[in-house]
Amino acid sequence: MRRVLAALVMLGVAAAAAAALAADPPEIALTIEKNRFQPDEIKVKAGVPFVLVVTNKDAAPIEFECKELRVEKVVPPGATVKVRIRALKPGSYPFVDDFHHETTGRIVAE
Amino acid sequence: MGATFVVTLREAFEAALLLGIVYTYLDKVGARHHFRYVTMGGALGLGASVAMGGAIAFASGLLLDLGPDLVTVAVIFFAVGLLTWHGWWMQQHARAVRGSVQRRIDEAEATQRLWVVGLIAFTGVFREGAETVLFLWGLMSQTNVAGWGGVSGGVLGIGAAGALGWAIFRGGRQLSLQRFFTVTSLVLLFVAAGLFSTGIGKLQGLGVLPATDALWDTSGLLSDRGFVGGFLGGLVGYRARPSAFEAGGYGLYVVGLPLLRAPWNGRPCARGRPARSPHRAQPDAPMIARAYRGLTA
Repeated sequence: MRRVLAALVMLGVAAAAAAALAADPPEIALTIEKNRFQPDEIKVKAGVPFVLVVTNKDAAPIEFECKELRVEKVVPPGATVKVRIRALKPGSYPFVDDFHHETTGRIVAE
Repeated sequence: MGATFVVTLREAFEAALLLGIVYTYLDKVGARHHFRYVTMGGALGLGASVAMGGAIAFASGLLLDLGPDLVTVAVIFFAVGLLTWHGWWMQQHARAVRGSVQRRIDEAEATQRLWVVGLIAFTGVFREGAETVLFLWGLMSQTNVAGWGGVSGGVLGIGAAGALGWAIFRGGRQLSLQRFFTVTSLVLLFVAAGLFSTGIGKLQGLGVLPATDALWDTSGLLSDRGFVGGFLGGLVGYRARPSAFEAGGYGLYVVGLPLLRAPWNGRPCARGRPARSPHRAQPDAPMIARAYRGLTA
């Protein structure tokens, strides 16, 4: 019984993951250059999921981190990483480069 | 330099704490010759971290977008499973030591299961390992003076974490066995609960679990973006604004785990495991039993 339940839960998780991946949300570009986020304020519509396309133009890896959204993503130098962001409630969501704490920015949903 | 010191100290501390506890644990049960499991686990964790760091550096596309997240989530839940199991096991041993009637330790089980501590060491090191490798590698790629200052800060941070792990080992040895078990069970309970709720938060961040509102907000009191809050976040899963799922998962784990253990508490010989037969004892079992007797005398 327990195994069946566990299998069902796993199936549910896999289905949810597949659904999340299948959706085609709008993409927003975010660049890191000379230890600065460009732009450092991202305006998005509340209630609509989107994808942050994070490009690191610096020579060192960075870690895009938004504590509020439980997102942590290493971006190697020269690489581009897509970060899926869920539909947000109106508000401000600060993010930081966890490898260089002076590099900050925020997402503003309205 | 100071900034990089803090980053690596924070990343490496959890690993150092787990290694310190696990080494002390083996020392306490008189199984120092099993230290190699832990050392091997830690070394493998380090190797896996370097490999993973390299893989991330050269990956691209969907592999880079999702790969690291999936590995992280898998490692987190695997570690929760290990710590849960280990906590239960430690409690069993603690009881066996305490009871004067149950002097006889389950030697076979003890020796057969000690390799699990190696797995704990592995996941402890691997969990934040790849990140730390990439971070240091990034510092080293900056060959100017500031870059090298950063590298030495980063290396010092790992060294400091190691020293703290060593201090735990030394300090833990001084404690009575009973107190050591009590303290580590409690610490590991909160570390595991923190990992569990972190895993849930990650799944919410990935959109696998639905998003839920923050249950409360203690960021005014202790922000999880600051040093202390961030440190507690990494260690025991502190969140200033926990989602309902995270807080619920944490609470369920902390309350549920001791309940889960309850059925075994009164009757450690229940479930009739044949492994309890002394005939299956390993060659080094008498030594462990002697160590137990010495510790309880």
